[in-house]
Amino acid sequence: MEEAEAAAAAVAVAVAKMMNTLTDRVGLGWRPDLAAGILDHLDGIDLLEVIADDFFSAPRQKVRALKTLAAQVPVILHGVSLGLASSAPVETKRLDQMARLMDQVRPEFWSEHLAFVRAGGIELGHLAAPPRNSSSVDAAAANLHRAQAAVGAKPLVENIATLIDPPASTLSECAWINGILSSSNCGLLFDLHNVLANGLNHGYDPLEFVRQVPPERIAAIHIAGGKFISAPDGTQRLLDDHCHDVPDPVFELLEEIAARAPGPLTVILERDGDYPSMDSLLAQIAQARRALAKGRARRVQLAEAFI
Amino acid sequence: MSSNSAQLEAFLARLYVDPVARASFKSNPRAEAEKAGLSDEQCAALEQLDWMGLEMAARSFAKKRHRKHRSTWFAALRTCVSRLRFSRFMP
Repeated sequence: MEEAEAAAAAVAVAVAKMMNTLTDRVGLGWRPDLAAGILDHLDGIDLLEVIADDFFSAPRQKVRALKTLAAQVPVILHGVSLGLASSAPVETKRLDQMARLMDQVRPEFWSEHLAFVRAGGIELGHLAAPPRNSSSVDAAAANLHRAQAAVGAKPLVENIATLIDPPASTLSECAWINGILSSSNCGLLFDLHNVLANGLNHGYDPLEFVRQVPPERIAAIHIAGGKFISAPDGTQRLLDDHCHDVPDPVFELLEEIAARAPGPLTVILERDGDYPSMDSLLAQIAQARRALAKGRARRVQLAEAFI
Repeated sequence: MSSNSAQLEAFLARLYVDPVARASFKSNPRAEAEKAGLSDEQCAALEQLDWMGLEMAARSFAKKRHRKHRSTWFAALRTCVSRLRFSRFMP
């Protein structure tokens, strides 16, 4: 019996060691401003995340260019305007556009936010947090079901940053996300700067939050940076603007996830403005790889402790 | 329940984009929420709203919309310029 347990533990160690080097990947969000630098440094970037909505109504040559890019480097598609956590059904037209683009580009997977982006005929032009309750869990699950049926694949769903604690919420953010993950059976695209920002702005411990998410659901990760802005009352809140370097606490959360997640992780560095040099972006990618390696090493140690 | 949730989202959306609606709401939250047909529970929740968060979120959304509008405008301009350049070589 002991021999069998030892053998199982040895297998677990071997698997954990294999995962260290074989499957975790770190890439970058594709932005036109970064295109030249990205193409010059593809050897240091494992994959690219492309904003799908930029191509929904794009001319044919632009989609062709994306297909050419996808032939050179693994590409994933990221949606920003479906509004999957809206209580209204997600628009069929937008799902069809996503389905068409998926068919044309054939990415490894696609993802969208747990947010509402329009309501009552108003386009917010941004991601907003709906009230977190059982009703919005059900609505999001229904929208994810529609999305899967239309697109042919489930998206990974992403947690969002919010400066306002959504009113009329009866669930914590973590319970709300976990509820949607379990009722939709979707994987999570875990945005760690969003966790950091919401934790600081709304008074919870980001590390505790990360530990409460089922690690087997975490498939991909966003890392980014933001800045502190002043409220009218003089207090400060962290704005997730993607215009600053990734802060150390985000890398610490990444290490924690690498120590807990059993599956391979895809990490994407997001940058949406105040673009630094490619060297600086590549240095942040390297730092993400180090955080992953440290977390995976902890996982191996943990497995070895069972022998 | 879900149509009521939709009403609440619509109400929040209006608060995010419309400074006048925000000011009216701030001066009399309960009355404005009731006018929008929200439930008692939702009205009570809105009376406890995170005001600072609302102002900051509204400002952040406005900046994003402005940036998006500007980049769309630049993209259209770029397309026009490249078409003009291309048309010079057309018969």
